[in-house]
Amino acid sequence: MSTFLAQTEAMIQTWHGVAAPNDPARRLTMELADTIAAFEKLRGTLVFEDEPASFEAALQAAKETGE
Amino acid sequence: MSNPADLSMTEAADAVRTGAVTSVELLEACWRRMEAVNPVLNATIWTDREGAMAWALAADDAVRDKAKLGPLHGVPMMHKDMYYQAGKLSTCGSALRRDWRPTVTATVIERLAAAGAYTFGGLNMAEFAQNPTGHNKTFGDCHNPWNPPYITGGSSSGSGVSVAARFNYMALGSDTGGSIRLPASADGVTGLKPTQTRVSRYGVMPLSFTHDNVGPLTRTVKDCARVMTIIAGHDPRDPTSAREPVPDYEAALTGDIRGLRIGVPTNVFFDGADAPVVAAIEAALSVLQARGASVTRLTLPLMDAVAAYGGIVSRVEAATIHAEWMRSDPQAYGAHISGRMYPGYAIPAPYYVESLSRRGPILQAFAAEVFARVDVLVTPSIRTCLPTLEATDIDHGPPGTETKFMAISANTRPFNYLGLPAISVPCGFDPNGCPIGLQIAGRPFAEARVMKIADAYQRDTDFHTRRPPLIKD
Repeated sequence: MSTFLAQTEAMIQTWHGVAAPNDPARRLTMELADTIAAFEKLRGTLVFEDEPASFEAALQAAKETGE
Repeated sequence: MSNPADLSMTEAADAVRTGAVTSVELLEACWRRMEAVNPVLNATIWTDREGAMAWALAADDAVRDKAKLGPLHGVPMMHKDMYYQAGKLSTCGSALRRDWRPTVTATVIERLAAAGAYTFGGLNMAEFAQNPTGHNKTFGDCHNPWNPPYITGGSSSGSGVSVAARFNYMALGSDTGGSIRLPASADGVTGLKPTQTRVSRYGVMPLSFTHDNVGPLTRTVKDCARVMTIIAGHDPRDPTSAREPVPDYEAALTGDIRGLRIGVPTNVFFDGADAPVVAAIEAALSVLQARGASVTRLTLPLMDAVAAYGGIVSRVEAATIHAEWMRSDPQAYGAHISGRMYPGYAIPAPYYVESLSRRGPILQAFAAEVFARVDVLVTPSIRTCLPTLEATDIDHGPPGTETKFMAISANTRPFNYLGLPAISVPCGFDPNGCPIGLQIAGRPFAEARVMKIADAYQRDTDFHTRRPPLIKD
């Protein structure tokens, strides 16, 4: 078992009391490394003036008027 | 009249109104068709013939009494088994709710009933609306009516199948990452995911607080438009529902799309696409161009962020909702359900908050850049030919099956994070005889425009009128 998986399973057990239910759970947990990489790639690339902002307000702002 | 089960929903409603057919005849026709094809398809979880017949008889009495009739008067229907009806079974597709009966009724069910519709059963679905294929450990897998070993799309599997197999006039589905559009595409029917907040979610099983949507699966865009006019709009019992006025969506279906600007993404949505799918989309674009729309190829901005953030939010929210059962009875879930939820517990809160806090700014930036150039986006709903149930069976398949499984929803998930309305309509068939879907997405609250283009497409094509070969009568 990889160190990443062992640490993650232990963390989930500690914080949530949930044990890995099966092998797909472990395989998909390993894929969290891809999630971390995706976040790392985004760092510093997105700058928004009004962050954080309401999603509902954004829906209104982005809608088309007069349709 | 030919078999009443072959009528579209609006045709059926209009026929009841004029006395051309009775509600009892509609119900009996659907029932006979269901008995003929459902042993192969497994699209239902429960049925209620006695209760439905009482509704049908009352509906026919109202017609004879010349009572005021709603726009869906006397139309029988079934929905994904997660729309609560007080006192009736609502399994949510799971062993954990096999015998569960809610005490409330969903607002959308109440609105459909007020329009004259009634239900005659509950439809198969992915367990807790959590897979894109149609697998179900507890109630059995749902099978594609065009080629039964192939996936139906999910999570609203029974919704797509029952409408495609012509034993249900309309089914509600839910869409958190594509669960309306995927079965619409895979089963050859029409399915609309509305703008986030457009339709009330009160009385509907939650999966993701911020990404869940309620919408219809129908045989035609016209059917879809009539349903949306009925179910859309603010609901005081769902404070997240928008106060945006609801237009008459059916009236917007004029067929006139001259001057509308269609955008076709050059990034992400065609990556690894199969040739038959690409060919079907290009042919569909030609149909729309012949009606006067223009086509522009463009690169969509921010797609890496949409993918990264969107994947975080729904996983964390599903894991949170299911935490108690994941602690107390994890083996009650299919392995692909619990297995996919489990990593959600490891995602740090700052990732979740960042993903949510950037959703609005990303939507605004995306809309400003994209919708300045085009009015709608057109993509495949599913970019590959359909896989079989066996090839996507995580519970029993080898490592790597997850990748095939998740690829199915790659083209639908982005519009959930962005909150945009998107429809899928049938636009062809792959070499295995399984349907291909055309996805059309627009600005927030542009359901009328999205449906207008989809309807224009259906005026010039017949994919939506074809019946699966399984139907013999």
